[in-house]
Amino acid sequence: MDLSMNAGSGGGGRIATDVGGTFTDMFHIKNGRAISIKRRSTPGQFEKGIADALAAGGVDLAGIDFFAHGSTVVINALTERKGAKTGLITTRGFKDVLEIARGNTPDIFNAYYRKPPPFVPRHLRREVGERMDHRGEVVVPLNEDELFSAARRLAQDGATAIAVCFLHAYANPAHERQAHEIIAAAMPDLEVIASHQVCLQWREYERTNTTVLSAYVLPAARAYLNGLQSDLSSAGLKSDMLVMQSNGGMVAPKAAAANPISLVESGPAAGVLGAAAYGRKIGERNLITLDIGGTTAKCSLIREGVALIAKEYQIEKTPASAGYPISTPVVDIVEIGNGGGSIAWLDPAGSLRVGPQSAGAEPGPVAYGRGGLQPTTTDAHLLLGRIDPRKLAGGDGPPDLPAVSKAFSALAGPLGLNALDVALGTVRIANASMVNALKLVSVNRGHDPRDFTLIAFGGGAGLHAASLARELEIGKVVIPPHSAVFSAWAMLALDPRQDRIMTSMRRLDADCMPWIVDTFASMERDARREFSDNAAMAGEIDCLRLLDIRYRGQEHSVEVPFDPAQDDFEQLLDRFHSVHEREFSFRLDNPAEIVNFHLAVISRTPDAAPEPEGNANGGDAPIAAIGSRAVHFDGHGELQASVFDRSALSADGEIHGPAVIEEPDSVILAPPGTSASVDAWGGLHLRLRAA
Amino acid sequence: MGQAIFTREIIKGALNAIGEEMFAAQKRASMSPVIYETLDFGIGITDAEGRLLTQGMGIPGFVGALDGAVHDVLGKFGGDGVHAGDIFITNDPYGGGGTHLSDVTLLKPVFFEERLVAWMANKAHWTEMGGANPGSFSTTTTDIFQEGLQFPVVKLCHRGAANTGLTDMLRANVRLPDMTLGDLWSGIAALRVGERRLAALLEKYGRGTTLRAAEALLDHGERMVREAFARLPKGRFSARDRIDSDGLGNGPFDVAVEIRIDDSRFIADFSGTAEAAPGPINCTRPALISAAREVFMGIAGAGISANDGCFRALSVICPENTVLTATRPTPTSSYFEAMVAAADVMRQALAPAMPGRLTAGQFGSVCSMVLSGNRPDGGEPYILVQPLVGGWGAGANKDGENAQFCVGNGETSNIPVEIQEARYGVRVNEYALHAADAGAGEFRGGLGAVLEYEISSEGVELSTFFGRGATPPAAIAGGMPGSVNYAVVLSGGKESEPLTMASRVALKPGDRVRLHTATGAGWGHPKRRPSQAVADDLRDGYVSPAQAKRDFNYRRPRQSPA
Repeated sequence: MDLSMNAGSGGGGRIATDVGGTFTDMFHIKNGRAISIKRRSTPGQFEKGIADALAAGGVDLAGIDFFAHGSTVVINALTERKGAKTGLITTRGFKDVLEIARGNTPDIFNAYYRKPPPFVPRHLRREVGERMDHRGEVVVPLNEDELFSAARRLAQDGATAIAVCFLHAYANPAHERQAHEIIAAAMPDLEVIASHQVCLQWREYERTNTTVLSAYVLPAARAYLNGLQSDLSSAGLKSDMLVMQSNGGMVAPKAAAANPISLVESGPAAGVLGAAAYGRKIGERNLITLDIGGTTAKCSLIREGVALIAKEYQIEKTPASAGYPISTPVVDIVEIGNGGGSIAWLDPAGSLRVGPQSAGAEPGPVAYGRGGLQPTTTDAHLLLGRIDPRKLAGGDGPPDLPAVSKAFSALAGPLGLNALDVALGTVRIANASMVNALKLVSVNRGHDPRDFTLIAFGGGAGLHAASLARELEIGKVVIPPHSAVFSAWAMLALDPRQDRIMTSMRRLDADCMPWIVDTFASMERDARREFSDNAAMAGEIDCLRLLDIRYRGQEHSVEVPFDPAQDDFEQLLDRFHSVHEREFSFRLDNPAEIVNFHLAVISRTPDAAPEPEGNANGGDAPIAAIGSRAVHFDGHGELQASVFDRSALSADGEIHGPAVIEEPDSVILAPPGTSASVDAWGGLHLRLRAA
Repeated sequence: MGQAIFTREIIKGALNAIGEEMFAAQKRASMSPVIYETLDFGIGITDAEGRLLTQGMGIPGFVGALDGAVHDVLGKFGGDGVHAGDIFITNDPYGGGGTHLSDVTLLKPVFFEERLVAWMANKAHWTEMGGANPGSFSTTTTDIFQEGLQFPVVKLCHRGAANTGLTDMLRANVRLPDMTLGDLWSGIAALRVGERRLAALLEKYGRGTTLRAAEALLDHGERMVREAFARLPKGRFSARDRIDSDGLGNGPFDVAVEIRIDDSRFIADFSGTAEAAPGPINCTRPALISAAREVFMGIAGAGISANDGCFRALSVICPENTVLTATRPTPTSSYFEAMVAAADVMRQALAPAMPGRLTAGQFGSVCSMVLSGNRPDGGEPYILVQPLVGGWGAGANKDGENAQFCVGNGETSNIPVEIQEARYGVRVNEYALHAADAGAGEFRGGLGAVLEYEISSEGVELSTFFGRGATPPAAIAGGMPGSVNYAVVLSGGKESEPLTMASRVALKPGDRVRLHTATGAGWGHPKRRPSQAVADDLRDGYVSPAQAKRDFNYRRPRQSPA
């Protein structure tokens, strides 16, 4: 590929790697050349996939001055319950806060509800004497002897990671700091993390759970990040790599390991924020994003160019379960267990089902020939002629088509169908569940998908996007450039940011203005100190200051922007009243109070915005099909489709379905009734004729 | 045709989304922790005639409440008396959708092209409505006039103009006027959000299409419920339970039910239930119908969103003026005890026939408490109102859940200790599971909780509204009953008698209040519980060594379990 892109200052190369459960993606720019690589992930050894990708790209790390990295290591450890045996040390009287949780039943009529069990069982939760009050004043000093024996006891019981969460630590973390030091000094083999290191907001259950999950993933995250950094350094990388966080932040490995839960939606966040950034370039401000990987599909919604950052993030929360809250800023994403590796199977009632089990990277689809016997969505696309067998991504050699056919026949027998029917059924069922996920972020939140453009990326997106858009009556699909490695692309296109949120309450009056200014200034100092050696934050810095303010007596607050250079008390109060009225439809004469300080530090990286790429063939070359083949399209049966090479498409011409547009690691289907064109940055736009 | 189905689905989803957005709006704007943390409120959208179209999450018990209030407005004002910009308010316990005076319903008609097309409604527990007792609900009132200010379906806004006389009266008659008016405003905020969203929907799809989609929604609800019921056992199922006390020392009061299920009907007949109590634990017929709807939806199964169509097969029979069908001016401020008893006795009747859907008896009271006083720093008055978590009953293949809000309390959530302390200046010493050595079984009952407050200022009063202070939750299939709910006050080294229905107990600085909720009942004989499960329970402290030996016949293996 030869795509002109801004190589960045200094002439050094820039590189991003994104490790998913199935694939490792790499995107590399050097001297105006962009290279994208997709390689299999090795479960348990994610470093290997990166080494493979670097080798395949012929990357010399000595010439790289920006290395960004996203990883699923944290979410995998959580959802597969493969974290450390974790102990909890907390304030006397409160060890069951983690298990009582909030006591709610989201499935409101269900008398047979099952409460999600805590990540730390009761015998690994220990209490110590200590107490702060809500103003952060010491009521009972920390009993160091109790703390020491609690930690020792947990270690004896096999805990290798310890979470420390004390009541009101958001107001004064002194006891937590003390506890952290004592445990770290006395038991250096234990991983320890305290609540104030990951969350400075009140609500003890949410903060305790966030701390517990942080401890649970800490050893795995640290080992992974250290191992990778050291591999990269010995391969010649001169700087620290930068790790992508769930809110769009990028930090050095040490800072990432200190707050591992901030990596929980690392790669997916990059994709969504990258989609928003790409949408702004092409003038599409209302987007539904769809990211189809090997194991899952993820959806999000962008309104007026802005991706939503969720303040209340949970894992495993469903309409039937409370899940587990994590108080860390995360891009708002809905995820379902349906990707290219999702397995097709028959349930006990004989109905065909697809996912959520995935063949993952090992053994992978049947076609990979590595021992997979259960057919996957990818196998179905192969059988339907949608993927050219010679160009299958991820396999070791030519796919074993007879084995694929046999795998579908095994399901076809009981259904009284043939293998092709089952393959088509597999794709249709996968589509239906993706449609439901897309509805969750749109229709169910009151948005009509017809008002949005679908932006689809990830290795499997091009195979499904047009059908899904048809189903939702979406008129336009955009497949951005380098869509198969889009999250990696996005890491080089984003403005990295850091978010700090701190609970600190005070009545809003004229006297508190200096306090507000000082508090923000001190947060900014802390933030700048933390990223002084962070290459991602080396650009020009913008600070966004937000205050959560409410009427006295309310619990929930509104977010009010604050500018220390301009705002006086009257202006701030006025702004609060109007924001409150806009969001809540009324204003009151009651006094107001400040609850949280939110500082977002955004680095305007000059390299962040890639230049238009034009097209490789110099503009108006005719668009020539490179061939044609028989392809099954939903609702049309088998048609002869023209095959195009995506890199050869011109910005001036248009192509019409039925067509297949190929790029190295993915395939885009343009069914009958669609037309496709290319934008200035190389993004592919599919327009669907109204049915 | 395909097109129409698709549009209908979008409208259906959008109506549900509007309900959820109204719910979020009220929660976020409200002044009362009982609304914004405890989520003791419900939201609904009805059609022009008052048929429930969608219900925002919250309290399932309010599912029967909102449509009834719309019927009352239409009955009183008629079609001609309802205008765009009107807002109605009611808290009449005996009228449509009534529960107790603290639960205030606000209703806003939605007009489109000059025609009434829908109603936005919400019902929320306001912290203070005046009356003889702080928090406006008590265990001692003997008629409704002591229970607070009554709004007998009146207009709060007329064609967009607020009736300030009414808000002035409200301000003058309640103890925490800022909080009460804040609750009023948050409710209005939710109605406005809903009205705006529905107007946009009507604008986009037109009245005809939108209303046809609403009709289809009702039919869909009915079909879903009918399909679910086709798979349920048919026949007659009966049970009898009791409410231990009415707060004035009277009782127990029998609660009886016979449920008759055939192919097309589900009839809950409460004949044989005791007459109304002199004290305030009675509920009214609208609350009884809500209870029956809640149980009905619970056994119909997951994934069905409640609307009017779901309830077409359900009927409730009960004589007048029982403890479940109180009439004016019988007191109802602690109505939730009778309402929970009605739902519990229905579940008790059906559980043996519906394993995997229903469980053995739960702690079975809302276990509300009120702590009132003045903050130690600055003396500002506060009223802390909250229900408590307790133990659920065991099922045929699972232990009971530990420390959940009472079955039927839905999204109700606890008030974080950190927020209680910051907001009220109270001190919490302990919030923990409470192993009461009860509820043994092959599957054991879930544990209740203990919550301890330490009092640090003068003039603090405690009221408790604990049912099941004498009659423990009932077991199934050879399991053992659960324990009972109780509170104690520790003062000057002495422990009080157990309190259950206690009104305004005076507390001194240094006193400690310990509130205990019950363990749920067991399912199946305890001797059938695998000894490894008992060993795990011992290690985690869910079961005491004494109970392990006594109820489970457990002998510690020579080598202690890992």
